[in-house]
Amino acid sequence: MADNGLYILLCSGEHEKIQMAAMMASVAAVSERPVQVFVSMNAIFAFDKGAAAEKRYHGGAFSKLLCSQHAPDAMTLFHQGKELGDLKMWACSMALDIQGWELGRLDEGLFEGALGLTKFLSDAENGQFVTL
Amino acid sequence: MADQILDAKGLNCPLPILRAKKALKELATGQVLEIQATDPGSIPDFEAFCRTTGNQLLESKQDGKIYTFLIKRTA
Repeated sequence: MADNGLYILLCSGEHEKIQMAAMMASVAAVSERPVQVFVSMNAIFAFDKGAAAEKRYHGGAFSKLLCSQHAPDAMTLFHQGKELGDLKMWACSMALDIQGWELGRLDEGLFEGALGLTKFLSDAENGQFVTL
Repeated sequence: MADQILDAKGLNCPLPILRAKKALKELATGQVLEIQATDPGSIPDFEAFCRTTGNQLLESKQDGKIYTFLIKRTA
């Protein structure tokens, strides 16, 4: 049975894709849609707590525009989505394990916890699934 | 007449919607929020936002590059 949940699998480290994930997640959450974001692969580096923006984000021409035009930071958008709606974020347990990171290494207050891909896919079975 | 005015002029998508959601949460049911924005996608964005959240879009108008919306908190 379909639900109206939005499930975002974020694995790219590209600034533009992380920005779009943050925009989609925050807008859907404030529009009364439950959202879950699973962060893995290169995307995990963007959530490294305390790292400078130039280390977090790597992108192309549009990334430069986002920075020069002072677009809202992706982390700020994720935080606002959590504050104003039903947005849950999960760190890929495999990505943390391979990188040798604990959950506390990631941006504070964003993640509910670490999760395996199997559980995330199972939860997303009847929702709308987006990969970035 | 609005109970509160939100100046979202100069803010890029999706900040006007996020700020509007935050402002609406602080209003009581039945109160009205006026939003002023310059984001060119504002009109369809706020129409969709009201449709999905159940709040009532009382007015939507454009004056040059300024968009003004009146939203009644009903949800």
